[in-house]
Amino acid sequence: MKFEDTSQNLRARLRFVQAMVVLLLGVLSVRLYVLQVVRGERYAEIAENQRRRRLPIPAPRGLILDREGRVLVSSRPIYNVIMSREDVKVKDLISLIDPLAEGLSLDRDILRDYFELVKTMPAFESILVKQDATPGDIAWVEAHNLEYPELRVEQQPQRTYPPNGSLAHVLGYVGEISPEQLKQQASKDRGLKPGDIIGLSGIEQIYDDYLRGRDGYREVVVDSRGRIQDEIETVAPIPGRDLVTTIDLDIQNAAEEQLQNSVTRRGVIISMDPGNGEIFALASYPTFDPNLFSQRITTKGGRAEYRALLNDPETPLLNRAIQSRYPPGSTWKVPMAIGGLKQGAITLDHSNLVCGGGITIGNKFTRCMGNHGSPDIRTAISRSCDGYFYRLGLKMGIDGIVEMVDEFDLNKRTGIDLPNEVVSWTPSREFKRRMQPRDPEWRDIDTVYASFGQVYDIITPISLLRTIAAVSKNGRMYIPHLLKEVRPVGTEGTTEYRGPVTFQPLDQSRPNPKVIPIPEDINHAVVEGMWSVVNGGGTGARIQMAGFDIAGKTGTAQVVRLGKDVGKNKDHSWFVSYAPAYKPEVAMVALIENSGFGGHHAAPAVRAIYDVYYRKTRNEEPPGAVQQIAKKQKTTATPLAETQQQAVVNQ
Amino acid sequence: MVAIIHKRSWRDFDWILALLAIGIVLFGTIQIRNAQPTETYWVKQLIGLSIGLVAMLAIAFTDYRRLLNLAPAFYIFGLILLIIVLIPGIGLRINGQQAWIRVPGIGQFQPSEFVKVTTAMMLARYFGKNRVQPLTLKETIVGGLILALPIGLILLEPDVGSVLTYFPILAVVLFLSAIKMRLVIASVLIAVVMIPAAYWLGVRTGMVKGYQQERINVILDPENADRRRIGYHTWQSILTVGEGGLFGSRSSVEHSQSGLKFLPEPHTDFIYAVTAENSGFVGCVLVLLAYVILLSRLITGARRASDRMGMLVIMAVVGGLAFQIFINIGMALGISPVIGVPLPLMSAGLASLIATFIAIGFAISVQLRRFVN
Repeated sequence: MKFEDTSQNLRARLRFVQAMVVLLLGVLSVRLYVLQVVRGERYAEIAENQRRRRLPIPAPRGLILDREGRVLVSSRPIYNVIMSREDVKVKDLISLIDPLAEGLSLDRDILRDYFELVKTMPAFESILVKQDATPGDIAWVEAHNLEYPELRVEQQPQRTYPPNGSLAHVLGYVGEISPEQLKQQASKDRGLKPGDIIGLSGIEQIYDDYLRGRDGYREVVVDSRGRIQDEIETVAPIPGRDLVTTIDLDIQNAAEEQLQNSVTRRGVIISMDPGNGEIFALASYPTFDPNLFSQRITTKGGRAEYRALLNDPETPLLNRAIQSRYPPGSTWKVPMAIGGLKQGAITLDHSNLVCGGGITIGNKFTRCMGNHGSPDIRTAISRSCDGYFYRLGLKMGIDGIVEMVDEFDLNKRTGIDLPNEVVSWTPSREFKRRMQPRDPEWRDIDTVYASFGQVYDIITPISLLRTIAAVSKNGRMYIPHLLKEVRPVGTEGTTEYRGPVTFQPLDQSRPNPKVIPIPEDINHAVVEGMWSVVNGGGTGARIQMAGFDIAGKTGTAQVVRLGKDVGKNKDHSWFVSYAPAYKPEVAMVALIENSGFGGHHAAPAVRAIYDVYYRKTRNEEPPGAVQQIAKKQKTTATPLAETQQQAVVNQ
Repeated sequence: MVAIIHKRSWRDFDWILALLAIGIVLFGTIQIRNAQPTETYWVKQLIGLSIGLVAMLAIAFTDYRRLLNLAPAFYIFGLILLIIVLIPGIGLRINGQQAWIRVPGIGQFQPSEFVKVTTAMMLARYFGKNRVQPLTLKETIVGGLILALPIGLILLEPDVGSVLTYFPILAVVLFLSAIKMRLVIASVLIAVVMIPAAYWLGVRTGMVKGYQQERINVILDPENADRRRIGYHTWQSILTVGEGGLFGSRSSVEHSQSGLKFLPEPHTDFIYAVTAENSGFVGCVLVLLAYVILLSRLITGARRASDRMGMLVIMAVVGGLAFQIFINIGMALGISPVIGVPLPLMSAGLASLIATFIAIGFAISVQLRRFVN
């Protein structure tokens, strides 16, 4: 270095600069090693994930059919506007509300609520912006592809349920899986993911795994704005399986018509095959429109509709057949009679007990609604003599009643294939302790109450029907159910083949049928009593069908104590029955809430359904159908006559 | 005379330096093509290379002393360019910065890259006199003023990133102009203590705002910073680099981070990340090695220079290049903040490429004349 002088030590300074250069680039290579060699694999995976997107192809849900193959629930394809979560930053979500509400004519408040909710749930990959988009909406999304590449239109099947709330409580409905459900282990086991449409009630819920099928997907590569660049693989969805129910649409329609035309329009009618538990009809009124949940729940109107349903004092969402408990009234006398005879409290030869117009226990007199002398068991049933059954109950004792309850499974769920069935309340010492902690001791008066279907007997309509069906079949008690068959798919012999599925008790340990050992002569005597109710001038005489003998029992369940049972506090009207009496094909129960005497409201309703059944199975006009209509007109025309008759004939 | 020069020129010509530079540009061009397969940036880069080579040869075979004597003229010409770019209608505004002049046929041209060379020339000229005394305060102030003029104009664009790359040029020139060592050590110490202290104080008093803190956090901890907004560039670049692994990513160009536009500015600011994705750790280290050899050759050239002016012009260039390389690659690796600084010889961009070749031309010219007196 020719110009160098010692004062500058320039050579050292140059070497220092060179050292700095090497040092700095050395730092970079260490960093490179960390990023590429040490953490390379992890970063490669993250990079891979951010460009891969799995777009679900929803599986079409299976049809739901009635027993004759008539379609009850179907799916139609609709288009939804979906927003890809990956491509929207959290803060941007809110700023999208206005343009989306404007462009897709959505409600701002609902959108805001939904986005706020979604913000707290990072698992939601796709955000449903608008369901059932119109062609105009789809055009808008396509026209704004550059501005909002995160939006896309997806086809999805939408459930269509019968109109007017028909079968609503049986079929249930579907909806988007809720965050709470997602957290449950069962949901994870079933492979459910956010945004899935699942059955939330009814058959849709119970048989969801068959109906839902398995979603397919398209695995795609997207760019940084979420636009699809390439398709890697497509897995076709596996459609859900079609499900045949035991419902007979003709009988179902008849049942619903009866409830709709009833005095209070509140009640239950169930019809069942006593020989296997297949339910022909199950109607609960008032009802609701399940289409609300599958179609309108994301709209403002739909939300209001849902709120109104929840707040309705008449509880239309409740399936009264399995979720409401009522005092059975005199229908309780049927299992009481079987129990009394079986346990030997009375014998067939000496079954007469005094009516006495009532009974006095201590200083309390409980009356019978008539004076029946000293009837035998058949007459006691056909005339519905309370006095007789007070005394029978006392002979059986509370332990005898509990034994009877236990035999008829009245203290258990029936096991019907619907969700959220409740257990009936039945008499027992524990029940009294719970109900009246101030007077926990079980007394004779309690036994009297427990004997005639009040106070301690509060049961579900389905369990009562099952009891009567068991009596009709001499103690063979089937689990009521709605599944006839899940239809097979594929060709037999191949690996894709899935055979038909028939009803299996949800609780595998329960026998189906449960067989109650009832001596034939005992059963026969009780059946005779029930036959007389309709055919022997008993409380249900007005619905007699010649040649198609109905065996049944009326019931009038007290809602408030005697004397106040008017207006909306009127008694519940029951009729439980089966036919033909000695060759049972079909069993039915009807309950009309707060309508009054059983023989007047529930029995005629049941009769109308037997007519439909008769026409279907016998291909001819039912006997006495014409008079039946005439009678009905007469009663509705003269309500005064009705009340008089009620006082005389009683239950 | 001409023949003699020529004969000796070819023998003393720094082939390694020139070929290394060309090699880096060609490798960079492949990466530009990987980054933007559908665009023509790589073609423009090859055109830039040709122009750069011509400029390099022209300067290499011209006596650098004659050129440096004209330094004030070049310097003023550079300032004029920086003024022209600010005139609306001529200057091109991209991403809020008015830093480009449209050149018909080849696209756009960034004067601030070019002016680095003229500024380095001016500094070399001023500090290049024979030195017997340590650096005086007056000299330091004049040096500062030489730098201040172009920096002031660039700040009007505004292009803070470019401005930062000017400081190392002056720093190296001052360092090699016999600035007292204790001043150097003192200023380094003050920086080491004061910068974190000022930051801490700024956070405490609220002078440093949330988003500014976030920018710092991005560098300190890119994985947990706001990966979707402020930290997006850094995070995506880290992913891109990481995906390269040891030998380069297996995914196709169409499915690469740049192909799917996850990595922003892949052909300019983040060309090194693209390189990392395509050629892996091995390729990346080779590139770093190439830069180390290139800079070492330049420093060797400076050491052999026959006069102070020649040494300073080369070292000013080294200072500028080294800093830019470090900042740009550091940005790709998530250890320096994201400022728009191109990677010399690799990033797509005419001005940067040509200016670098001009600088290399100077270095070769200085070497060719090391025995001439």
